[in-house]
Amino acid sequence: MSQTETVAKKSAAKKTVAKKTVAAKEKADQAVNATAPEAVKPAKASSKKKSGQAFPFTAIVGQEEMKLSLILNIIDPRVGGVLVMGHRGTGKSTTVRALAEVLPLIDRVAGDTYNRTVEQYIEMEGGKKGGNKIDPESIKLEKIPVPVVDLPLGATEDRVCGTIDIEQALTSGVKAFEPGLLAQANRGFLYIDEVNLLDDHLVDVLLDVAASGKNVVEREGISIRHPARFVLVGSGNPEEGELRPQLLDRFGLHARIVTILDVAKRVDIVKRRRDFDEDPDAFMKKYHREQVKLQKKIELAKAILPEVTMDDKVLTDIAKLCMNLGIDGHRGELTITRTAHAHAAFLGDKVVTMKHVKDIAGLCLRHRLRKDPLETLDAGEKIERELAKVLGEAEAV
Amino acid sequence: MIAFTDIVGMDLAKQALMLLAVDPELCGVVIPSAVGSGKSTLARAFSGILPESTPFVELPLNVTEDRLIGGVDLEATLTAGVRVVQHGVLTKAHEGVLYVDSLSLLDSSAVSHIMDAMSRGEVLVEREGLSEVHPAKFMLLGTYDPSDGEVRMGLLDRIGMIVPFTAQNDFRARKKIIDTVLGKRDSEDTEDELKMLGGLIQAAREQLPHVSITSEQMQALVQTALSLGVEGNRADIFCIRAAIASAALAQRSDVEEEDMKLAIKLVLIPRATRMPEREAEADEMPPQEEPPPDEEPEAEDENTQADTPDAEAEEEQKDTPDMIEELMMDAIEMELPDNILNISLASKKKAKSGSRGEALNNRRGRFVRAQPGEMRSGKVALIPTLISAAPWQESRRQESLKKGIKKRNALIISKDDVKIKRFRDKSGTLFIFMVDASGSMALNRMRQAKGAVASLLQNAYVHRDQVALISFRGKQAQVLLPPSQSVDRAKRELDVLPTGGGTPLASALYLGWETAKQARTKGITQIMFVLITDGRGNIGLQAAFDPNAEKAPKEQLEQEIEALSRSIQADGVAAIVIDTQMNYLSRGEAPKLAQNLGGRYFYLPNAKADQIVDAALSF
Repeated sequence: MSQTETVAKKSAAKKTVAKKTVAAKEKADQAVNATAPEAVKPAKASSKKKSGQAFPFTAIVGQEEMKLSLILNIIDPRVGGVLVMGHRGTGKSTTVRALAEVLPLIDRVAGDTYNRTVEQYIEMEGGKKGGNKIDPESIKLEKIPVPVVDLPLGATEDRVCGTIDIEQALTSGVKAFEPGLLAQANRGFLYIDEVNLLDDHLVDVLLDVAASGKNVVEREGISIRHPARFVLVGSGNPEEGELRPQLLDRFGLHARIVTILDVAKRVDIVKRRRDFDEDPDAFMKKYHREQVKLQKKIELAKAILPEVTMDDKVLTDIAKLCMNLGIDGHRGELTITRTAHAHAAFLGDKVVTMKHVKDIAGLCLRHRLRKDPLETLDAGEKIERELAKVLGEAEAV
Repeated sequence: MIAFTDIVGMDLAKQALMLLAVDPELCGVVIPSAVGSGKSTLARAFSGILPESTPFVELPLNVTEDRLIGGVDLEATLTAGVRVVQHGVLTKAHEGVLYVDSLSLLDSSAVSHIMDAMSRGEVLVEREGLSEVHPAKFMLLGTYDPSDGEVRMGLLDRIGMIVPFTAQNDFRARKKIIDTVLGKRDSEDTEDELKMLGGLIQAAREQLPHVSITSEQMQALVQTALSLGVEGNRADIFCIRAAIASAALAQRSDVEEEDMKLAIKLVLIPRATRMPEREAEADEMPPQEEPPPDEEPEAEDENTQADTPDAEAEEEQKDTPDMIEELMMDAIEMELPDNILNISLASKKKAKSGSRGEALNNRRGRFVRAQPGEMRSGKVALIPTLISAAPWQESRRQESLKKGIKKRNALIISKDDVKIKRFRDKSGTLFIFMVDASGSMALNRMRQAKGAVASLLQNAYVHRDQVALISFRGKQAQVLLPPSQSVDRAKRELDVLPTGGGTPLASALYLGWETAKQARTKGITQIMFVLITDGRGNIGLQAAFDPNAEKAPKEQLEQEIEALSRSIQADGVAAIVIDTQMNYLSRGEAPKLAQNLGGRYFYLPNAKADQIVDAALSF
């Protein structure tokens, strides 16, 4: 990075000199353009962007369904993650990567690679052979932002689950465990872009861990078991391939995303993107207040969530809805209930009503409807229709 | 090497490359073109107009995952005793060009990695104990021959410009090409021209930040994208960038109409999923989309300027946004070649447009990945096995010394180290559905047939099989859906399948066979035809290629079908025939067809969808 910067500096000074690389040239252009004394600044900004400056969450136009799903998962991770499926180039991964900026802080044992809480730490470390009892008071805590871990398609199983630390093995001959992505994602988000293209054997691993909340590694004489509870977020384009039914079932919510058809909104998207690319720092500054506002709102919702209550009547209606839609198992009801709680909390309401349920029912059930080959009705419409029936009954009584 | 400026013809491709040289954020150019059109020569010449020492990396088609994204360097690791990282091809192309010849043949997992790198601008390496981020911001330059199959849409979406497909060069150009190849051109001329072009691009790069685009112009471009049914927002962004780059290349500070037209041609039209509303033919299929708003302003007929696409830019100041839009629409109509839908990315969504049936979507290839496994369960992947064994050599040697075993010079490999090569062609079966949609398929039987296909699709989805859909009616068969794992798409196609016209059964068989052959090249070995028809072909193969062909006599038709069927059987393609003919009308065509194909026969009026599914799956 410093190398390109110096190149940029040089070329800014001597405009006619043949430029080293494409990017250096661009940076130089920006630099020349700025005409300010510290002409190298734009170059710095763009190199910073490369190292992970994400587009701000609150600057994303439209796609409310996806944004709400993500927010509800922050408020209550037990909602069970979200699968975002839809058209190409509609900001799926941009939105998920923007999430990190609005996430609240959590406490973990200081420096712990598994992001463990004190309880988890004691449970895991205290149970070891010959291990002394650990005094909870003696454990230091630190605050970290909720982790968002990216699982790329090319990841190998050993990096996902963790394996022996080769470096240590080479240098000191010690067999030490090097935690993988699942460890890093504990208590955070695990994001898989193009989740429908994920290799089968990785899907198996994920299903296993997602079900138990624990990752078990037995290899090369190492045996380890560590907590790995995360919110699974996946995105993809259904035209590229289908998701395995078992994995589909794992996702609490299913957000759908389509191309925006409103010209003004689309122009707005393009403009914002251009502004961001031109000067990410200034752009971030512009949205800073909104970002903070959203973050506070989420924190508040998290705080009041335990106080949110739900009438039995509403629960009955939810059960009715799921029954009428012929949904197998109870995951449908459970997800609706949790999600409705989180949604109410987000809106600052302490009592869940059918209105909250109505807003999120589609998200919770869309992927749980049995696939009927001859069905021409869209899943969303079907849910809405049944919902209206249930609501109609509810009002009539 | 032949210089960029010496290449004749392919003007649009050259323009696209120049825009890319001006603005690398356009992310790349794809050039679909027939064999021998000089597309790869042009692509390689592209590096000549880029600033010096811009990386230009050619990606071999058989690249493995670790070569692509990076991994452990075995040799260096063994000698150094420390893990040494080897950068992948994607990182080597950082801030330069990644060139892929025959892009459509690239393995699907490689495509996924490229897509991922393009959307991040970096490569995440999470493999073999490595956890690193390498920069990988590159321009992707891809060429391919559409008859090899299509490039995955997700990848195309991330590439700024797609040059419309042209089948042939013109004759003028050919002559010049021959001159160039024979070395009749003066090399000094070439050098001067190259220098000039280089200067032009350099100047345009400097001009780039000074070009502005008005809100109205942006709106007009977005509106155009909308009326062409372009998916997502990336195209909007690319289109505006391309227009700006074009203005910069002309040393202007304002975007003009010609810039916008070029941008539309290179960015939007190739991504069109539908013709602009005016062109829509209402004959066979009602358009599903709601009509785009403001498509036909009343001002249209009064405005003579709008009819001349070359209208000079001076007019532009007076132009209202509506007017620009008008001009755009004209531009599209003028530029749309007859074969526009041949290259259009999503053209296959339109039932009537799929005349170029060979298109295939790359799903799973023959890619190899190493995974831990039993030595006997497959081919041992030697290098990855050595990599995982390497770090342990010292400690293991000592352990074995303790046990009194002396093996000083041998590598000690334990069971855990063994990595097995995984070939990814356990890709299940490809079911090629061929649905007779001719007039003789009465409506209710069509419904039954659709039901049967839909349940098969459902099953295919669960088993991760692939499906392709071919319909035949009128003069010829068409591929509605190239091999795909998407049941959604297949279902959608099926829902809107129109019926009526003749029964070009021979054409369907031929097309199905072609699809099967293409699938084989991608590692799919199990292929099954599912024919849903009354077996009464009445349109010859000839008619598919020559619309004026005379109606073939009945005997010839029968012979054609029989010969084709037998060849297909001999080629090892399995088949089932689902007869839709009413009993009292039947003359036994469908059973005969099944016999010639060596496939199973089903009589639909009796068969339940489930039975058909079972039959198909039990082969």
